[in-house]
Amino acid sequence: MIHQKGIPMKSVDESKLREIFGDNNVKTDPSDLYAFGSDSSVHHAMPWAVVRPDTTEQVQKLMAYANDALIPVIPRGGGSGMCGQTVPIQGGIILDMKRMNRILEINLPDVYCRVEPGVVDDDLNLALKPHGMFYPPTPASSRIATIGGEIANNASGVRSVKYGATRDAVLGMKVVMPNGDLVTLGAHTRVEASGYQLHKLMVGSEGTLGIVVEATLNFVPIPEYRCMGIANFDDLSHAGGAIGAIMSSGATPSMLELVDSVAIKAVNKTMNLGLKEVAASLIFEADGMVKEAVDYEINKMKEICTKHHGSDIKTSYDPKERAKIFMGRKKLFPALSKYDDSLSSTSLADDMAVPYSKMAEMAGKIHEVAEKNNIIMTAYGHCGSGCMHTKILMDTNREDQWASAKKAITEIYEYVRSVNGTTSAEHGIGLSKAESFKMEKADSLRLLQTIKQALDPNNILNPGKLMQAPEDWVTATGLRYAVHN
Amino acid sequence: METKEKTRFKHLEKWDSTLSACIRCGYCFEHCPMFKYTGWESDAPRAKIITAFGLLSGELEPTKMAADKIFNCFYCKRCEAACSSGVTLTEVFTDAKKDLVEMGLKGPGTTSVTYLNCARCLVCVKACPHEARFHGEDGIETDPVKCQACGICVEVCPAGAAKIENNFGTGREDLIAESSRFLSTHASAKAIVFACNWSYFPDLQASRLPESETHDKDYEIYVNMCAGRLESQLLMAPFLNKAWGVLVASCPEDECQHKNGNTRAKKMVESLQSTLERVDIDPARLQVVEIPAGDKTLFQAEIDTFIDRLNAMGPIR
Ligand SMILES: Cc1cc2nc3c(=O)[nH]c(=O)nc-3n(C[C@H](O)[C@H](O)[C@H](O)COP(=O)(O)OP(=O)(O)OC[C@H]3O[C@@H](n4cnc5c(N)ncnc54)[C@H](O)[C@@H]3O)c2cc1C
Ligand code: SF4
Ligand code: SF4
Ligand code: SF4
Repeated sequence: MIHQKGIPMKSVDESKLREIFGDNNVKTDPSDLYAFGSDSSVHHAMPWAVVRPDTTEQVQKLMAYANDALIPVIPRGGGSGMCGQTVPIQGGIILDMKRMNRILEINLPDVYCRVEPGVVDDDLNLALKPHGMFYPPTPASSRIATIGGEIANNASGVRSVKYGATRDAVLGMKVVMPNGDLVTLGAHTRVEASGYQLHKLMVGSEGTLGIVVEATLNFVPIPEYRCMGIANFDDLSHAGGAIGAIMSSGATPSMLELVDSVAIKAVNKTMNLGLKEVAASLIFEADGMVKEAVDYEINKMKEICTKHHGSDIKTSYDPKERAKIFMGRKKLFPALSKYDDSLSSTSLADDMAVPYSKMAEMAGKIHEVAEKNNIIMTAYGHCGSGCMHTKILMDTNREDQWASAKKAITEIYEYVRSVNGTTSAEHGIGLSKAESFKMEKADSLRLLQTIKQALDPNNILNPGKLMQAPEDWVTATGLRYAVHN
Repeated sequence: METKEKTRFKHLEKWDSTLSACIRCGYCFEHCPMFKYTGWESDAPRAKIITAFGLLSGELEPTKMAADKIFNCFYCKRCEAACSSGVTLTEVFTDAKKDLVEMGLKGPGTTSVTYLNCARCLVCVKACPHEARFHGEDGIETDPVKCQACGICVEVCPAGAAKIENNFGTGREDLIAESSRFLSTHASAKAIVFACNWSYFPDLQASRLPESETHDKDYEIYVNMCAGRLESQLLMAPFLNKAWGVLVASCPEDECQHKNGNTRAKKMVESLQSTLERVDIDPARLQVVEIPAGDKTLFQAEIDTFIDRLNAMGPIR
């Protein structure tokens, strides 16, 4: 067992874990623990053990034991969370849910499916496809993200502008509570007004309130027609104007994405897509069962883009062309890591949401703050749902760059809050965004803590996250980089 | 903020910035056969990169277990094909292996080893596409840095002395057991498809479908490291379990990652086809198709054509 900086070494009863899960489903070697100490965030910390349940009963037994022995338990799906949600900053047991990966039922007449939490998003969509259906909240990381992780982070994606986020798709769930009790929340129906809707509370709870062991999800038909378009803008504010105009025009885009100049450059450089290097591009899409209706939506968006000085406007129904346009966006975040060999792409202040009318101003603000602090930042995102993504490109080995990044982030979040935006639109809070989150939710923090206390009195489920996370994420948690003075 | 000290990983050192540039997205574990087999994220490619970082930074002790993380790899490079950030993972692994070997931590992991019953005929030395096998002080040895676990030596060794001990489901016995299980549990089962790691990138990551979605499956695909590793016993086994046919998928001519694994497979299939003919079984029931890396559409089309042909022939009487 490895001793963690500032955290009391706590012993886990390994034989108890082996008794519950079997030898093949328990890991305690440092080489395994080290790998489970990271996710897609900048943080790293060592857990004490990793276990892999196959059944709900095993999860219940573990929770009963951990609650009794006061050992932190951190549920984990694909480990693609970007804010350190699964990083065990207080040590504890990682509960790897990937083996509970059965698609239990696809119920077409009642339009729902029941899945275990370890089912990978792409796999669910693959299973739904032969039935002409799809599960729409799908994040860009759908090839690795699990349904459990998507629920806990309230994930959303490019199509959420039309179809909503995970919270909108979850009808009900089974949850193991911190003391090991199993509860059934929500229903199998489209609407429910029977009380507190606790299943919706579980969505976005980042593994701090309960462990989802089964979810009932809504799905929708795959549209017959999809048309995608792209428009270039020489000025960021023109693109911003177009976004607001589209969203208030009555058009229903099934996707509306903004990509700024830094992002376009990065995609061109790594993916060779030959996009025109302009100030900003808007990618828009409409879908539906009737071609005339899709035409109507697309034409409306085209018109608005033209009116706001958009140029090189192209649209296509052709799946290959669409895939090409979309691939650039889908691979954008990763492509940023190739922008400059000496710079790494980090996800820090990466998914704030602001009102539509502030999207362009926000993008401008990001560029301004980046320049001032001597780092590179991009602005792109699901602007149709008000979500702006940024990535910070910096030399992660240099301590001064971390200081600059921290300063830039603080300034950006100040702006976000000043225009009534929110700290996170889809990736969640975890560790990295706790500072701004606490300021934004200042008057409800006690309420949040009261809920946590009521459901998890011993504070064993993913402790030290959200409202409990340390404000100073750079110094208070271990980073996954080799940082030098 | 911690300042992490560098250690004795001289070869790995040049990957310092790559290890930071990896965004830890995990896209690489979608198709990794190692992850699919063990189901442990700590065996997936991202974890191997994290391990390399830990070793280089000194945060992780170079132990046998840590070394195994790096040595347990098929060098199929699916992770590189999927990597969002252009990380050449196997090159990182190779340099990590060089350092680990120098520290006396040499696997074997997935690399091949030689058993005592070796006849020293040198057939494997000649056949190894990566010049990993040589006649050393202790008889026939394998260079653990060069070996890419293709399994060709296992297939050619007449004494059965060349072995890959840690097969992770790709060994002959595993594949025979798995394919027989499929054939005996699916009434509609007709064919077994053996694909090399490049011809087939499995669709489902790991999720399990409900029985209602899979009970009428007429074929199942099993992935092997290299078509050159397919042994005759394996290719014939499904016929003993009432399969209507067996399809082998390999890389196209000149595109084999292990030099000539595909031509080896072709020769093997041709010789087995004549065996089938001798016992009055239509040789078309055993075929090889060439699939460029990851070309799912062509792969599916070839399977569909093969199943159509089997349907026309009916079961073996
Ligand atoms: C390249 C890249 C692109 C991304 N794009 C998007 C995007 O477009 N949209 C988006 O929303 N996100 C995106 N993300 C973020 C991330 O993929 C999502 O947050 C995703 O939902 C996380 O799923 P996971 O299975 O990896 O969860 P993990 O990271 O393993 O866990 C996330 C949280 O869920 C909790 N958890 C996991 N399983 C359970 C369970 N069964 N019960 C209770 N709690 C549980 C964990 O404790 C943790 O708090 C992206 C990430 C990457 C790396
Ligand atoms: S080369 Fe293949 S086996 Fe090795 S880590 Fe990459 S995907 Fe996995
Ligand atoms: S896909 Fe590439 S960038 Fe992503 S975790 Fe794997 S090696 Fe790192
Ligand atoms: S033939 Fe393949 S498995 Fe055998 S030693 Fe050479 S590279 Fe390794």
